[in-house]
Amino acid sequence: MHETAIVAALIDQVEEQVRQSGLQGPVLRVEISIGRLSGVCPHSVRFAFEFLAAGTVVEGATLAIDEPRACCRCLACGAETVIDEIAVQCPRCGSDEVRIEGGRALMLQTIELAD
Amino acid sequence: MKIVAAKSLLKANDQLAAANRDALSAGGVLAVNLVGSPGCGKTTLLEALFARLAGRLAPAVIEGDIAGSIDADRIGALGVPVVQINTEGACHLDAIMIAAALEGVDLGGLSLLVVENVGNLVCTAGFDLGEHLRVTVLSVAEGDDKVVKYPAIFQGADAVVVTKTDLAPLSNFRLERVASDLRRLTPAAELFPVSALSGEGVDALADWLAARSLPQPAG
Repeated sequence: MHETAIVAALIDQVEEQVRQSGLQGPVLRVEISIGRLSGVCPHSVRFAFEFLAAGTVVEGATLAIDEPRACCRCLACGAETVIDEIAVQCPRCGSDEVRIEGGRALMLQTIELAD
Repeated sequence: MKIVAAKSLLKANDQLAAANRDALSAGGVLAVNLVGSPGCGKTTLLEALFARLAGRLAPAVIEGDIAGSIDADRIGALGVPVVQINTEGACHLDAIMIAAALEGVDLGGLSLLVVENVGNLVCTAGFDLGEHLRVTVLSVAEGDDKVVKYPAIFQGADAVVVTKTDLAPLSNFRLERVASDLRRLTPAAELFPVSALSGEGVDALADWLAARSLPQPAG
């Protein structure tokens, strides 16, 4: 359940950003990215957000989660294929000389406020 | 009104980790984040490793466990300075815990700090502690499919140590599969097959670590 720690860090950071912006709340929407290979479960993040948001700047805000995919780059045929889990072979030519790139992002992207 | 943040979710942890790393670098202390499943042999590996590093690196250990001090007691018995962190349920260490633990470590005279993380292949992957090297341990008994099943913990690794190779004849573990999965996922990671019991392969790992030691502070 390290999703709880991640959501606590998320809320701290939203509070800091809102304070620095000088804008008044309330926060309507928070958009984050959780890469498909990051090992973080979006479902658990939502669950943690629901109970950790109470009494904070994000209480009542919508949590939007983008899940960037990873890329499998084939060294044999050059194909670049988007993947959602570790590919062990190139989906195009079947070569096992592939490199897995991206899909690990854990980012706070945007915060939307009412005013 | 929209604020575009575009910041790492773990920014606070990452900043503290960077401060930990700076302090350790300034002290000439190479920091290693040792991760792997419960029972994969992290502590036994350290016992074998420290015996071979004697005279080359002066180690200390931060032990992360949910409860108890069994591992810290073993490390302490070697005469190696050790600090125990009990996370009381938390599944990983973070940079804040390491910053606090470092207050109890005299860096003077040290050249290696191993942080033995909580046994876990999932949560430990996300948190930079301020280490210079991440070493992921996988035992033969866990099976050769773990790189594909738990990619995050292997993707960030500088080295992967396959432990308990003495058990390989009793299992269907194929080291070639691990090597080939690592090549796809994280081609720069070094692979060290090791048996801490027989000592086989431990020297290669010790040499690799010793070669990465940091310059000692002047004076």
